[in-house]
Amino acid sequence: MMATANSDYANFFPKNRQTRLPGGYMGKILRIDMTTGKLTDLNLPEESLLRKYWGGQLFAEYVLLNELPLDIDPYDPANVIVGMTGPITGTGFTPGGTKMCFVYLSPATRHTLGRGATSGYFGTSLKAAGYDGIIVTGAAQSPKYLYVGEDKVELRDASRVWGKGIRDTEEMLRKESGHQDARIGCIGPAGEHLIRAAMLVNDYNHTAAHGLGAVMGSKKLKAFVAWGTKRPRVHDKNRLIDAGARWAKAISSRKTTVKKRLTSVGHGEDWGAITKLNWRSTIITDEAKGLDQNRVTLRPCFQCPRMCPWDVEIGEGRFKGKVGHFNAGSEWMDTFYNLGFKGNDVLYLSERINDLGIECSHFACGAGLAFEAWEKGVLGPDHTDGLKLEWGNLEAVETLLERCARRETWLGNILADGPKELAEELGGEAKNWVVHTKGGTPAQHEWRPLLSQMLRELVASGGMKPQGAGGAEPPADLRYREKWGPLDPNQPDGWTSSHCWFALNEKPPDGVQSMVDSLNATTGWDVSLDETIDVGHRAIILQSVFGTQRGWIAEHDWQDVGPRFLEPIPDGKYKGFTIAKWLPGLIYEYYRISGRHERTGRPYMDTLTRLGLEEFKEWSQLD
Amino acid sequence: MTTSPIETLTQQYGNLVPTGRLIDGKPRSILFDATKCIGCRHCVQACKDWNDHDRTSLYELSSTNWITMEPPVLEGLSPLWARNSCMHCNFAACAAVCPVEAITKYEEGPVVINKDVCIGCEYCIHACPWEVITKNDITGKASKCTMCSDRISEDKQPFCVQACPVSALDFGFSEEISDKAKKQAEAIGGYIYGEKEAGGGNVVYVLKEVKEKYGVRNIGAEKFPKHKIPLGLMLKDLFTPRCGIAGKLRALYLAIIHPKRLIYRYFS
Ligand code: SF4
Ligand code: SF4
Ligand code: SF4
Ligand code: SF4
Repeated sequence: MMATANSDYANFFPKNRQTRLPGGYMGKILRIDMTTGKLTDLNLPEESLLRKYWGGQLFAEYVLLNELPLDIDPYDPANVIVGMTGPITGTGFTPGGTKMCFVYLSPATRHTLGRGATSGYFGTSLKAAGYDGIIVTGAAQSPKYLYVGEDKVELRDASRVWGKGIRDTEEMLRKESGHQDARIGCIGPAGEHLIRAAMLVNDYNHTAAHGLGAVMGSKKLKAFVAWGTKRPRVHDKNRLIDAGARWAKAISSRKTTVKKRLTSVGHGEDWGAITKLNWRSTIITDEAKGLDQNRVTLRPCFQCPRMCPWDVEIGEGRFKGKVGHFNAGSEWMDTFYNLGFKGNDVLYLSERINDLGIECSHFACGAGLAFEAWEKGVLGPDHTDGLKLEWGNLEAVETLLERCARRETWLGNILADGPKELAEELGGEAKNWVVHTKGGTPAQHEWRPLLSQMLRELVASGGMKPQGAGGAEPPADLRYREKWGPLDPNQPDGWTSSHCWFALNEKPPDGVQSMVDSLNATTGWDVSLDETIDVGHRAIILQSVFGTQRGWIAEHDWQDVGPRFLEPIPDGKYKGFTIAKWLPGLIYEYYRISGRHERTGRPYMDTLTRLGLEEFKEWSQLD
Repeated sequence: MTTSPIETLTQQYGNLVPTGRLIDGKPRSILFDATKCIGCRHCVQACKDWNDHDRTSLYELSSTNWITMEPPVLEGLSPLWARNSCMHCNFAACAAVCPVEAITKYEEGPVVINKDVCIGCEYCIHACPWEVITKNDITGKASKCTMCSDRISEDKQPFCVQACPVSALDFGFSEEISDKAKKQAEAIGGYIYGEKEAGGGNVVYVLKEVKEKYGVRNIGAEKFPKHKIPLGLMLKDLFTPRCGIAGKLRALYLAIIHPKRLIYRYFS
């Protein structure tokens, strides 16, 4: 059964477009049926629909809701991957015009929206090949990869790279494409072996997490390769240059520096807490030791001056000379602090986990639990095939990473499933030591002292890395509104224009307006801040409709959570603090504000009507 | 230093290249500091954005790619990077050899090809010591970096400079840029490239390692260095219909009014 019997959707991709193609769009979506190998070009929807569902995530959600059957397993060939760029992806001229967002049924939670969003260059290259997005259905019999070039589009044999790590795969496929500047997004062994939180990795430094890699693996789809010379038309170049420059100015204080990468323990430094020893300590000590000996090169995404991604050549210790490629955040650093490591051991292991293609928090929370269970005598050598799960035991963690990525041994296999599964398997007290959200995992940072970030993690689709969040103040440009709307930083997923949320600074005046002006200059629209908020709101509502269709209720947000995540903070300057004090009231409040029922999470009918989403009324809250 | 015959010639008979003014006649320069460059290619893409060029390819100069960052490997995969684009020579060999005077050296710095005038003879391509001119396969015209003369005319900096996220590119009045380059070279124990090469120009680099490591060319200080236009190409242009009648007539007319310019073009 299809999720919605929506007659409008039949014409969503029109045979012949009747309206103007707004600037920023290429005009085409590529549909791939992995089962038959059939490739079809679809026209983009009419302009009014593009504007209603503008951006990557919202557009992709809408397509997925209309294409995905109910009651299937994430690894069923009928699972659908929808990947979309947005109108400012690849136009140049602005920061953050780098994003591509994939949605599908999450293999981590099995009942909520999975979303893997990535930056770098892949989205730009896809547009250069002439496409705004990709829809993947079915499953192949043997390993394939998709070549999307402006010269040709085809499914190619991937047996040569099947089994290979991310770095080798990327290099081999680039060579095979014959284009030195082809861009590749691929999966590693973890995706092939259906590790529930396997990632897609693209352009070395970028990851789309939350199980996208596993769904690709289930379809025997090893990689996307994109190449082309095209660029989207821009409505008003001079206005775009001006808006882009203002946007760049707004984020200039957030530019990454080499110095930061040489001295910082990562994002947690901003508030002074990291995850250590399976979330049992938060205190930063000498975790950054030795990093100052490294050679670090910033490796920004396409035209973005924020410069998040970076490369490292380790300059000291047992891994001297090893290189690593890292993304914007630093969850992988917290991942290995959580297992008792420090300094360059952390960077070395981070490169390993990326090459295997395992989402770091999935491993951090699973292995963290296993290590704690070992420490407490709950898990013994009979279950670890000889590994001693002692904190900071490098050999054990390296071996465990390999086993997890290939589902080898009992422990490797259960870590591949996830921390919640391991906790259930261990049973007893150990059930209280686990961190998870709806079976997925939160981004691996010590969020517990931060109320808004915690709320964001809890209400997100379950381990789906939520976008944005913020401080106590509304963005400067939104103070004109009486109260927080869905762009409230306390709420997830309010940002959907397919710019990168790392390239956002909402605090100073013009931080948000310059982004909306960039959108308008690109497309030729006259989108206001209010309309922007509605678009973000639509994305939130469709995400929860997706969950509602598959059995999610709002109460899961605070009930289906690993207990450790809601425990009072064990030490450090936030000792004793916990969001649990305000639960579930805070979550109820969040749902009320966003026009949904506080227990079921279903949108009220007037919310759907206001947002023009009446076609989903079947899933609304009627009383 | 011995004076080259061409220099003598220039001193005696005036400049060998057509010149012009964009706004105020004050020379400007681009500074590329290799010690700051991270090889991100924002400059390369920005040039494409400003000039509406194809998105790729990025790794070789073409009529839609006026600048490359060398070596031709993915961002982040080399420890050293060098800019490869027009140096906007003070003694622009490309302009001196153009039989239709399609290339102008502007007082503000830019050496610019007027594509409406270019007849596609390819002399400039062979004359440029840095080999940074390419031919547009479709229009048959010569093509290269303009130093964003259109932007300089509006008193704006070149777009590549504006896009560099780490300030490895800088732009300003030549005197100031020269000072900055000197200071930076001293500070890092490096040296300046582009101030003497082929008589200098309006693009200078600060380098630290030896030139070979960056893959930048060893070019002598001689102004209007001996060019490499193949004799066959010249004969073809003179005695076949190549480049069109209108082009030939313009070349002939210019040869009559600027006969001295023929000496370097055909006899050096
Ligand atoms: S570098 Fe070459 S193209 Fe540029 S001005 Fe000098 S001679 Fe002409
Ligand atoms: S190709 Fe010939 S005509 Fe065109 S600019 Fe070069 S020298 Fe002049
Ligand atoms: S100066 Fe202008 S034309 Fe030359 S490389 Fe830079 S952006 Fe391109
Ligand atoms: S934009 Fe700047 S840092 Fe990047 S390649 Fe160009 S000169 Fe180097």
